[in-house]
Amino acid sequence: MRLDAKIPGGPLPQKWDRHRFELKLVNPANKRKFEILVVGTGLAGASASASLAELGYQVKTFCIHDSPRRAHSIAAQGGINAAKNYPNDGDSIWRLFYDTVKGGDFRAREANVYRLAQISNAIIDHCVAQGVPFAREYGGLLANRSFGGAQLSRTFYARGQTGQQLLLGAYGALMRQAAAGRVRLFPRREILDIVVVRGKARGVVARNLLNGEIECHEGHAVVLCTGGYGNAYYLSTNAKASNVTAAFRAYKRGALFANPCFTQIHPTCIPVHGTYQSKLTLMSESLRNDGRVWVPKTPGDKRPPHQIPEAERDYFLERKYPSFGNLVPRDVASRNVKEQCDQGKGVGETGLAVYLDFADAIRRDGRAVIERKYGNLFQMYEKITGDDPYETPMKIYPAVHYTMGGLWVDYNLMSTLEGLFVLGEANFSDHGANRLGASALMQGLADGYFIIPYTLGGYLAGTPLEPVSASDPAFAETARQAAERLRRLLAVNGRRTPDDLHRELGMVLWNFCGMSRNNEGLRKARGRVQELREEFWRNVRVPGSEQDLNQSLEKAGRVADFMEFAELMILDALERQESCGGHFNEAYQTEDNEARRDDERFCHVAAWEFRGEDRDPVRHVEPLSFEHVPLTQRSYK
Amino acid sequence: MGWLVSLLGSSVGKKWMMAVTGFAFLGFLAAHFAGNLTVFGGRESFNGYAQKLQSLGPILHLFRAGLIACALVHITTGLLLFLQNRRARPVGYQVAASAGGRTLSSRTMPYTGLLILAFVVFHLFHFTFVPPAPLTIFDRVAAAFRRPELVALYTAMMVVVALHVRHGFWSAFQTIGAHHPKYMPWIFALSLAAAFATAIGFGSLPILVAALV
Amino acid sequence: MSQTIRLTLKIWRQKGPADPGRFETVAVDGVSTDMSFLEMLDVVNEKRILEGGEPIAFDHDCREGICGSCGAVVNGRPHGHLRGTTLCQLHMRHFRDGDTIVIEPFRARAFPVIKDLVVDRSALDRLIQAGGYVSVNTGSAPEANTLPVPPDRAERAMDAAACIGCGACVAACPNASAMLFTSAKVSHLALLPQGRPEAARRVLAMVRAMDACGFGNCSNHRECEMTCPKEISIVHIARLNREALKAGFLSPEA
Repeated sequence: MRLDAKIPGGPLPQKWDRHRFELKLVNPANKRKFEILVVGTGLAGASASASLAELGYQVKTFCIHDSPRRAHSIAAQGGINAAKNYPNDGDSIWRLFYDTVKGGDFRAREANVYRLAQISNAIIDHCVAQGVPFAREYGGLLANRSFGGAQLSRTFYARGQTGQQLLLGAYGALMRQAAAGRVRLFPRREILDIVVVRGKARGVVARNLLNGEIECHEGHAVVLCTGGYGNAYYLSTNAKASNVTAAFRAYKRGALFANPCFTQIHPTCIPVHGTYQSKLTLMSESLRNDGRVWVPKTPGDKRPPHQIPEAERDYFLERKYPSFGNLVPRDVASRNVKEQCDQGKGVGETGLAVYLDFADAIRRDGRAVIERKYGNLFQMYEKITGDDPYETPMKIYPAVHYTMGGLWVDYNLMSTLEGLFVLGEANFSDHGANRLGASALMQGLADGYFIIPYTLGGYLAGTPLEPVSASDPAFAETARQAAERLRRLLAVNGRRTPDDLHRELGMVLWNFCGMSRNNEGLRKARGRVQELREEFWRNVRVPGSEQDLNQSLEKAGRVADFMEFAELMILDALERQESCGGHFNEAYQTEDNEARRDDERFCHVAAWEFRGEDRDPVRHVEPLSFEHVPLTQRSYK
Repeated sequence: MGWLVSLLGSSVGKKWMMAVTGFAFLGFLAAHFAGNLTVFGGRESFNGYAQKLQSLGPILHLFRAGLIACALVHITTGLLLFLQNRRARPVGYQVAASAGGRTLSSRTMPYTGLLILAFVVFHLFHFTFVPPAPLTIFDRVAAAFRRPELVALYTAMMVVVALHVRHGFWSAFQTIGAHHPKYMPWIFALSLAAAFATAIGFGSLPILVAALV
Repeated sequence: MSQTIRLTLKIWRQKGPADPGRFETVAVDGVSTDMSFLEMLDVVNEKRILEGGEPIAFDHDCREGICGSCGAVVNGRPHGHLRGTTLCQLHMRHFRDGDTIVIEPFRARAFPVIKDLVVDRSALDRLIQAGGYVSVNTGSAPEANTLPVPPDRAERAMDAAACIGCGACVAACPNASAMLFTSAKVSHLALLPQGRPEAARRVLAMVRAMDACGFGNCSNHRECEMTCPKEISIVHIARLNREALKAGFLSPEA
């Protein structure tokens, strides 16, 4: 299969303009004749639903929660990047583009990233107009702060709740369209499958989580905005309901899955404290602006932090990376933290933590300033750990946070399954092998507000789409398969709960396909995952019925998909014999233990094609060419 | 007119009516209190005050009509709110706990209100809607407060009024939107002061009268 | 340092909207004080599933206090007794060995119980649909710095915008009133110049929607602000009252 990314011609800065001109338009009067199914209401889904409805399309929007406002974008803390250059520190669209490509370790498409940087400014304008209460300077103009992976201040923020505020803006826009009748909302729905009619995505099969009813919805296109698959690891900073099901079903229906091994481990999370732990909590990366990361110089030093004198502390990020210091990109920071802990220098009860210390910042700026910047984060930390970070340094450890991989999409954000568009974290497009801080919000909103409204129109105007109805046999067959799967889950009646099995799967992934990987471990993990999957279908226990609100059944369905998907992650990691960004294979590192890319063999996107239940998927390649950013070894020294 | 009915019929509209009529009653209480003080000037002074009020004629009737209108609005709206609020939570909690917002005064508003209504009716028939002769108003008051059960009733009722004022006072400000971080502490303090003034100012009167006369 | 404690839970069980429901008593042993409240419920559920029982249904998602999904009434207090805390952030170190904990769903006519501790809070979405937004279409926004907003104003708007829509204010209010929720949105947008053009229409429409959803009226008990996990102040309720007064009497909007 040849993967055509459909990147427009012409010079990089003009590609998007040119493409928008070349895309066919849908006559305003005809827009209402098209029905679009949007799955998910995070930043990408809510913004896409609202923008498409504003244009006049009929939109049906599905969300797994009781309200669209609860999508996990709400938990993004730090901020959103834009190339406004308000601080006059030398930013530009080109520099944001450059930083993002480099931060992604040269595994993203130049044209996509450039478009993202171009759109970034319009996002800020739009969100401000929506009433997002961004932080302001004394004169009333917008404030910026710096963030990991950048040497300038381009991050806009609303306290430590930027994701919440941006999502509430998009949610407001969505609710406005819902009130106007142009969006029909389907809350508490889980998408169990994509319906393909004559080669095109034409509908979804949803389960009403309140009563278990299996519903068929037909439309002219399906827009998946279902987020990432970080919960494959069980413990992650993702919300509990975040899952890969819809994306994985799309993969099984013909959409290629790109770079599934690119997962981001965020360096600053609250460490694990017990086996019952249900999720991990992120402490915003912005904390690294003022917090200093350190460990004791001597392994096994169990003295409380304040008893360890300055001379016996190792501020290892500052020592190793003098120019970026504590602000190195996430993958670099995480790996260094792991390295320190592996050397026995980790702190806390488990030895799996390092200090993030604010004592210097509090001395320098005063407690009030620190409180204003990070008050809510400190409070959150204290609630969870019972420690006061104003007094004792925070303890942090890396945790799975974001997945750069996702369904393969072309420049129009359409997957290889025609009519299926994929937005936000669910696609693979813009972050390469590592995402920079404050770029996820930017991408989700860029996709939803400013890309899909044009590219979807181009698809609808340029594609003959015969009418389909939910009575089409494809719907009945897909719905039957989905219902059958639920019944199978209930029928096993084994001795282990879905969570229990999921936790074990997570440990396998974390140990062998986590922060650092090696071929032997990956091969072992693949076998282990196959065994676990087999055990799952033999030994899972799901109580209750499928015709009821049944949270165990919901979980079981998601875990079943993670069990299959995990193998794809491992396969992808095994095939990519290099280290880049979030994928670190121990066999490929420099003398300084940095990721060593192999641009000769792996300067490409790996996209996996499903070939049937009992066959290995096939790996396709989309070569990446870098004409504008020279391929260099990343250095943050 | 439709807009006004629907505006005042809304939940915030009803609360404004409670607040505005509440303010009127607070004004009335202040005036009533000032008038009451004349009782300490003795029989002449107090009766003189009563006669002066009577001599106002139509103005007095106007005020009375105003107060009755306020009372009707305050009572019917209050009852409506009370019933609506009960309906808004058909199933209560097994454990009743407060996060610290409710006060004795706030939680008893509907009940103190109804008690006050009953008391006002009694009070009106006791002292207001009575023939001016042969007993003067001073004689009536003095006679009444020679009876300990009436002293107890009047004093107790003044504590009830004070409780109602304690929450009603600041609440009225809040309801019309007069809440400012700079001034709200004063309004809270004032509402406490008004409650004490009511309880002590009005409540001590029967006792003092009983002691003095 | 973590310890383990033993607890007795009295949990509301209700099979569906039509089921009258009842309390069930569950003894739980070996609860680590480092667990969150929801993790404690997870442990109970895991055990029940293996014993062939029906797990307790409860809404939850982010488990870091921002999505607003979780919330039950714990010993009479929505989200439990800790100030400024959602149920998912409430940790078991705040309970003592041997405690009995009564867990009930949020109660309000506007929040019918769906199952166990899960309630239907879609009324809050209907309130936002009535006007909790700025009407701006994608693409039509002016440059972001065209309209300066004094930082203290932006901060106050943010104080209100911090609402997570969990509904605890309604659950805590003796009148099951949604004034804190509604006022937080009205206030957030009324404070910003971007929200002013629609301020009058917004406040009146949202108040009407609030009444139509079957919420009670505000009696200024202040239970809401004391319970709110984001500690949103009733100063915003006062602003709603003020905005509604202005809009109702002075604006041409009906």
